[in-house]
Amino acid sequence: MFNRLYEYKDLLLVFIWREFVIRYKQSVIGVLWAILQPVSMMMLFVLVFGVIMKTPAKNYPFVLFFYSGVLPWTFFAAAMNFAIPSLTNNVSLITKIYFPREVIPLSGIAVCFIDYLLGFLVYLILLVCYRTQVNLNFLWYFPLMGLLVIFTTAMSYLLSAINVYYRDVKLATTFLLQLWFFATPVIYSIDTVDIRWKYFLFLNPLTFIIENMRRVTIEGRGLVVWQLCLETLLVMAYFAFTQRIFIKIERAFADVI
Amino acid sequence: MSSSDVIIFNGVSKKYSKRQVLHNSLREELINAVFNRSGSSCKLAQDEFWALRDVSFNIAKGECVGLHGPNGSGKSTILKLIANVTYPSQGSVLVNSRVAPLIELGAGFHPDLSGAENIYMNGAILGLTIREIKRKTPEVLEFSGLEEFINVPVKKYSSGMALRLAFSIAIHSSAETFLFDEVLTVGDEGFQEKCIRKIDELKHQGKTIFVVSHDRNSMNRICDKILHLNGGALGEISSVGAQGELNSLGVIK
Repeated sequence: MFNRLYEYKDLLLVFIWREFVIRYKQSVIGVLWAILQPVSMMMLFVLVFGVIMKTPAKNYPFVLFFYSGVLPWTFFAAAMNFAIPSLTNNVSLITKIYFPREVIPLSGIAVCFIDYLLGFLVYLILLVCYRTQVNLNFLWYFPLMGLLVIFTTAMSYLLSAINVYYRDVKLATTFLLQLWFFATPVIYSIDTVDIRWKYFLFLNPLTFIIENMRRVTIEGRGLVVWQLCLETLLVMAYFAFTQRIFIKIERAFADVI
Repeated sequence: MSSSDVIIFNGVSKKYSKRQVLHNSLREELINAVFNRSGSSCKLAQDEFWALRDVSFNIAKGECVGLHGPNGSGKSTILKLIANVTYPSQGSVLVNSRVAPLIELGAGFHPDLSGAENIYMNGAILGLTIREIKRKTPEVLEFSGLEEFINVPVKKYSSGMALRLAFSIAIHSSAETFLFDEVLTVGDEGFQEKCIRKIDELKHQGKTIFVVSHDRNSMNRICDKILHLNGGALGEISSVGAQGELNSLGVIK
């Protein structure tokens, strides 16, 4: 399944480069936006929940708590916002020339991932500033990051393909992401949630990912390995499923788009 | 059918739907995917029509073929089938070479990117590797005559300039088969002349070329064979003599 992509790797690289260049063209502060977006969102939450509402949180700073959740969430939301209308935004290419269509959503995800990495540098700086005791468990962050990317890719394959048939998907994106945001422990911690809802929230892979990202970095605890294995298995199966669907219906894109 | 045939259409039909929202199509695709059916049927469902009807022809390597016919007669559908963008509802399409379609104005271009950046974009879409593009960029620019504007965003180009750039990139592709959809009207007379000469040159290099045009004169000049289409059916196949005279080869159907 990856063979066909490998053949077109230069095209994918050029697409990623294009998306990256266009994204920050004619903007004054350019790539700084990649950092500014999660940072400003984090500061907003600190203001609302930390200063105004004084919500009791964990025993570590609000800044770290919110930023650790906002950063992966921003990646996910930005990638979805890009990917869902990406195929229909490229009608003229899709109806004229053949290349594996997943190149289009993938290039957007890649650009969002570059932003994510830049935001991650800020996260490292914040961790140092707040003198967090980081240990080897920190390395768990990277498999979690990989899991997040795979899940995001799977979601974009599915939704961007359906959007070719039904533009309703694009119109529903705003609400969908809003809903998803509240179903993900970005502004709250899963520990404060009632047990009945807890299981429900863990149906959302982002819950597992974000909760554990906090755990392995800020709290310095390890994660439960069998949980990671199970979650990885589920996400991989889901990815294989969506990729299969994408490839199967891809050949009709030019006719229905 | 001979071994040198690079494109073979065998009883190809293609139907399209007139409906705006395709309520059934996704469901059908998924069911076909699950049951591994090819999803073709010789019957027309409601609101469907035949864009191509039982079209068969063979094209040998190095031939230059013109497609001629009124609007909606299926010319572009044939190009799409060759480019593998769409698939036939019935029959089979066999393409034995790398295809480079000339993308119409604006398709492969991003208006915010400069001319040079768009060469990379379009070149990659046409299947060139990054290294090949790097090597060919000066050639492309020279052919387009746009060296002066290489760093200007394409949105500031006139439509003629953009077309010239697009055409220049397409003909420098390393593909074996070229598809030109209504491009003989590109640019001014000088550039048109240059294009026709370039197509001739490609022909001498043994490339297979498809041209869709309404301009019979230039088509007679460059094509070896002209397929006449009408309402999705293949009418006459005429061969063009050395002096550009038309000889009827025979009538199919």
